[in-house]
Amino acid sequence: MTHELLHQVRLLDPSQSCDRIADVLISDGQLTAIAESITDIPTDTERRDCSGLILGPGLVDLYCHSGTPGFEARETLQSLGGAAAAGGFTRLTLLPNTQPPLDSPDALTRLQSQIPPDLPVQFQAWGAITQKREGQHLVELSELQASGVAGFSDGRPITNPVLMRRLLEYLAPAQIPIALWPVQPALANQGVVRDGVQALRLGLPENPIISETTALATLLEIVAMIPTPVHIMRVSTARSVSLIAAAKAAGLPITASTSWMHLLWNSEDLASYDTSLRLDPPLGNPEDQEALIQGLQDGILDAIATDHRSYTFEEKTVAFGQAPAGAIGLELALPILWQTFVETNRWSALDLWRILSQQPAQCLSQASPILEMNQPAEMVLFDPQALWTADAQTLKTLGQNTPWFNQSIQGKVLATWCRPPSR
Amino acid sequence: MAAATWNRHHVLSLADFTAQELDIVLQTAHSFSGVLQRRTKKVPTLQARLVTNLFFEASTRTRSSFELAAKRLSADVLNFSPGNSSLSKGETILDTAKTFLAMGTDLMVIRHQEAGVPQMIATAMDRLGGKVGVLNAGDGYHEHPSQGLLDLFTLCCTLDAQNPQTELLKGKKIAIVGDILHSRVARSNLSSLVTCGADVHIAGPPTLVPKAFSDYGVTLHWELEPAIRDADFVMTLRLQHERMTQHLIPSVREYYQRYGITRDRIRLCNPSVKVLHPGPTNRGVEISSDLMDDPALSLVSKQVTSGVAVRMALLYLMDSGEN
Repeated sequence: MTHELLHQVRLLDPSQSCDRIADVLISDGQLTAIAESITDIPTDTERRDCSGLILGPGLVDLYCHSGTPGFEARETLQSLGGAAAAGGFTRLTLLPNTQPPLDSPDALTRLQSQIPPDLPVQFQAWGAITQKREGQHLVELSELQASGVAGFSDGRPITNPVLMRRLLEYLAPAQIPIALWPVQPALANQGVVRDGVQALRLGLPENPIISETTALATLLEIVAMIPTPVHIMRVSTARSVSLIAAAKAAGLPITASTSWMHLLWNSEDLASYDTSLRLDPPLGNPEDQEALIQGLQDGILDAIATDHRSYTFEEKTVAFGQAPAGAIGLELALPILWQTFVETNRWSALDLWRILSQQPAQCLSQASPILEMNQPAEMVLFDPQALWTADAQTLKTLGQNTPWFNQSIQGKVLATWCRPPSR
Repeated sequence: MAAATWNRHHVLSLADFTAQELDIVLQTAHSFSGVLQRRTKKVPTLQARLVTNLFFEASTRTRSSFELAAKRLSADVLNFSPGNSSLSKGETILDTAKTFLAMGTDLMVIRHQEAGVPQMIATAMDRLGGKVGVLNAGDGYHEHPSQGLLDLFTLCCTLDAQNPQTELLKGKKIAIVGDILHSRVARSNLSSLVTCGADVHIAGPPTLVPKAFSDYGVTLHWELEPAIRDADFVMTLRLQHERMTQHLIPSVREYYQRYGITRDRIRLCNPSVKVLHPGPTNRGVEISSDLMDDPALSLVSKQVTSGVAVRMALLYLMDSGEN
């Protein structure tokens, strides 16, 4: 048996509203003792001074992008899982936009067979809603559900309201998460920046707020009639936050998330034309950014997703308007969100942990990771003060598409525990 | 010499130009336009310097103007156009720029159909530690600083040919009419004219002149008449025919009826009004054909002539500014 004593670590567990300092004994990957002071320890215990460090439940990522299969130059399951572990994420939920897409049990089985066994990360996947993610024909939903997908999502807009309606009717008894991204592509018109003063100044094609809100309003109307629970992905505008607040107040069975990048940047930051800020949905205007932060604080939005998406250097070294959308995030989200919101006292440490761990799990209808005795631990040890530089040597992800590349980062995950269920 | 107070390494946008910087450009362009009127229209200023025109987007007028400006300054000139280049073989734009940097380029003049590319290349060149200066020759709908400056020079020379300076534009009413939304020229004009203290009015249909443009500090109109009434200058912009298929205007005919600059409408302006157009012009869409050709009204040819002097000034200043 191996034993490790975390001496005077700050325990954070939102499920128990716990935020206190204690000694923690870990034996063979299980919490075996938690007390203000543990003196009675096995002789071969490794002792770690943890003053200033945080021990919390593992973080849960609602959606991110796998390069495997099809785009291994961008990301492999090994590099993605390594990035997750290095960033404190113990559960990853892969979107089905692989090549071939995850739209059949076979595709899922093939993916599962490539999951690296030695990482403290639980890989799960969204199964596609439509064949080849083309938005035309439903996949064989029951069969795909039986093969073990975490939920259904195309990861891209479903624009056919008939298909949307039938999907929610058909899956009403299935009790499986459904994640939808409301966008009206005709209105988005391949725009890359939100409409407003900044869009005009930058001279970039605009993607108007109404491309999101009209699609969201349509979706909410459908859910009001067909109350199958739906998760709304990638909320990015202030107006959407209001629509969701009203829908939740009316009792609609919805949850909602935004991406971490949308909390930290806005359209005014695009003056650099940095392609790592080319996202879809585009970054909001300052009032959108503020509404998303406030929406999380008020519980209108439930969770933060990384939407981690790696691209090769060549793919992103193009004009802003031609760059593929997405940024990496797994290794950066926790430290940077912590510095921005917790160190500044905008959110408590528990607030942040809740929207990165407990509530994303609830959006997936899963039991939240908790700090529990005598169970395989799913937890993370985080040093909010450690300084490091995000570069090609330190990052586990293959991508460099982040505005923090080659920047100094404060806050680092020191250890991640998770024992994925045996397959 | 004016250049002593110039320390701009790249010229990417006019948004942050001060009136003093604009005056330095005007003054320098004025002396170069003197050179261009001599019998020997060439100076040795940029001898043995290498100016590379990287025109990822096709252009004849602007590229010729830059090429001539560089040659009048005795620089060596390389012209790149994407047609048969390695871009079609998958080379990134940065690699293209690096190739010309490695050949010893001192000044890079860049045009691209996408906003932000000159800025991106300038950032990369700075990071490489080179001293190359980047001049934006038009990027998407973003900016076209040299066009904005040659318009400024044309306006100021019209007001005082011997001493063109920004002060002359203070309080002058300038109407910019047309498709502001899709115009990089308009964006450069708006910033620089407002900096000069001009009374800038913009006009066009709401789909092409969104409200947010008033953030530039200009007066916005969706009707033509109040914009051009008593105007000292009217600047028209090119209207692309594709705006119809995008539902931005119902038809070119209706556009001309509402916003076309005609002899009738020009009577609303100040009697000494002059009309500008960045070209190429759709005669009978933005402006009536007879106005275009009326030397008493139209500054279009003067704009083209000014272009060479202004671009000489920019190349010269950027070269002197960095050293």
